[in-house]
Amino acid sequence: MTENILTADSLVKTFDDLTAVNGVSFHISEGETYGLLGPNGAGKTTTISMVSGLLTKDSGTVMVAGDEIRTNSTRGRAAIGLVPQDLAIYPDLTGEENLVFFARLYGIGGPELDARVSQVLETVGLTDRKDDLTKEYSGGMQRRLNIGIGLLHKPRLLILDEPTVGVDPQSRNAILESVEELSRAGMAVLYTTHYMEEAERLCDRVGIIDEGVLQAEGTRRELVSMIGEKDRITISAAGDLVQAADAVRRIDGVTEASAADDHIEILAANASGLLPALLEGVTSAGASITGVEIREPNLEAVFLHLTGKALRD
Amino acid sequence: MSAVLLIAGKDLRLRVRDRSVFILGIITPLVLSYIFYLVFGSAATGDGLSLQYGLVDEDRSEISASFTAVLEGAAADGVLELTTFQTDAEAASALDEGDIDAYLHVPAGLGDAVVTNQPTTIEVIGEIDAPTATQIAASFAEQFASAVAASQTAVGTAAAVSGVEVTSEFIGSLSGDPASAAMSFMFADETAATKQLDAPTFFAAGMAVFFLFFTVQFGVIGLLEEEREGTMPRLMAAPIPRVSLIAAKAILAFIIGAVSMTVLVVATTFLMDANWGAPLGVAVLVIAGVFSAVGIMGLVASVAKTPEGAANLGSIIAVVLGMLGGTFFPIAATGGLLANLTYLTPHAWFMLGLAELGSDAPWTAALPAAAAMMVFALLTGGFSYLLLQLRLSR
Repeated sequence: MTENILTADSLVKTFDDLTAVNGVSFHISEGETYGLLGPNGAGKTTTISMVSGLLTKDSGTVMVAGDEIRTNSTRGRAAIGLVPQDLAIYPDLTGEENLVFFARLYGIGGPELDARVSQVLETVGLTDRKDDLTKEYSGGMQRRLNIGIGLLHKPRLLILDEPTVGVDPQSRNAILESVEELSRAGMAVLYTTHYMEEAERLCDRVGIIDEGVLQAEGTRRELVSMIGEKDRITISAAGDLVQAADAVRRIDGVTEASAADDHIEILAANASGLLPALLEGVTSAGASITGVEIREPNLEAVFLHLTGKALRD
Repeated sequence: MSAVLLIAGKDLRLRVRDRSVFILGIITPLVLSYIFYLVFGSAATGDGLSLQYGLVDEDRSEISASFTAVLEGAAADGVLELTTFQTDAEAASALDEGDIDAYLHVPAGLGDAVVTNQPTTIEVIGEIDAPTATQIAASFAEQFASAVAASQTAVGTAAAVSGVEVTSEFIGSLSGDPASAAMSFMFADETAATKQLDAPTFFAAGMAVFFLFFTVQFGVIGLLEEEREGTMPRLMAAPIPRVSLIAAKAILAFIIGAVSMTVLVVATTFLMDANWGAPLGVAVLVIAGVFSAVGIMGLVASVAKTPEGAANLGSIIAVVLGMLGGTFFPIAATGGLLANLTYLTPHAWFMLGLAELGSDAPWTAALPAAAAMMVFALLTGGFSYLLLQLRLSR
């Protein structure tokens, strides 16, 4: 059984008359990437501010690697790597100076300091530009350095608050790849975003948050099945497609199958699981398959179903 | 502690790269104090101003003799040079030749006019190119006239009470020397409130402490800049006590302020011949002054919302305190309400502390002023710490 690195329980935060976060609970295991998905103003940043100990909680608890996180204590902080939404680097220091400063702030010194700084520079692809002032970096390079600083002390929990906002597509892809790699390496990742595609690509589990309330959480499939959406499979084929569609329709789990000119449209609850039987059914009906496309219902639809509004509203 | 030094070191590096700290902390006060010294130095203190006066006493009465004695006393003290002329023509000639800056003409009959309470005049004739010296000569005459008027009032009252005729003998029996008593305050020993630094020291110290309040801002607004730059969340999420953030900014402000003051003290000593006094006493005053500046500017930073807001508010406060504190002119010596209000500023205590130190006083003479500045530091620093703690623990 994998260890829970983060356990957030019943978090509440109120600003004057506004309840920004209301009873949010979730946990993240070692090597798991948890996405907090919600529109701007949903309470994502307030939640991670409480998780990382920046903001005082009105109520609730946050445990990270066995230590309770409080604003007035340094316990457990070293286990957290925070990548704030806004750039958190010093423009008049070089990339290397920024890394050295923050590494020392986390108590890294001696030979380990040089090794970690070099390693992070390599990871974020800034070794060649390490001696340049960061104000001379491109936006993407600054974003990469911003993430790199969060990785310096090898945290057990990495918190990324919308790290791809305002980033060009190339840098964005590099950032997403880095996060995937870190997750594979065993790091627990809390990732907030309002980009559905990012949540779908990166996150093992997703929490959908709106108006300060965690509306639902689970794997993508769990969330989708929660609202009864089906996978849509398109099998391109040649031959008697009407007969092939009849054969497919008899397979358990298939809700609907219809033949068109050059393909069969199928609706099913679990496309990936049914795919071998579907392909067998089509070929057994004498048709020859030329292509397969599976479109699973996405989180956008789930979010719409749960909140009645689109993610980018 | 290592986190405090680490953050302070990072900030110091940024400030050094920024270079504005050198401009505002060292170059500007140094240049301004030198300019002020050149422009106002002589007029402000009399130091270096050569007062060459002539005196024509055509009255030769007991009263005119007292006026002559006052001027001769001033000459003996080195305040002025006095040449006596027999006639107005001789004095006018000396003035034309440029031998004297001005002369005072006591007309015949002045003594009798005073005794009989008749109007009379002491003429002051000055060289047009020596307005300051002429003005000072006029001040001598005016003060003498005021003293005589006071004596006339006293004599008249005494005569009326005793019912006797006013004569020279009667006046002599009452006051002996009616003018010199009143005039004597002009050359009396200075009290603490009126002690003056020499011109180079006054302007060097004034500019140094005036700009100190701008210089320490580079440190104390650091927290606001961290917020603006977006680095504050990262610092607050680090495994360091939050108090170390406040301490780091305060230490940086202190270091910048202390270095700036030290450089200015040393530079003005050699470049402007400023006489700051016993080094240990100066060090005590500088340290206390920097603490008070950090406290006051820290309070400003703790109530401001942005670095720009803090800088603007801080500048206003620094200028008001600087003016009121007598960094441009010695307000303490003017008397009245301002002379009392000036002690509500650390600037005034700094200047007073230096005046107390003088050229040969022991370093301990600076302690009362330093203690007063530390009161400012503790009060304002304590409040700003509480406000910043509140701000960081939302």
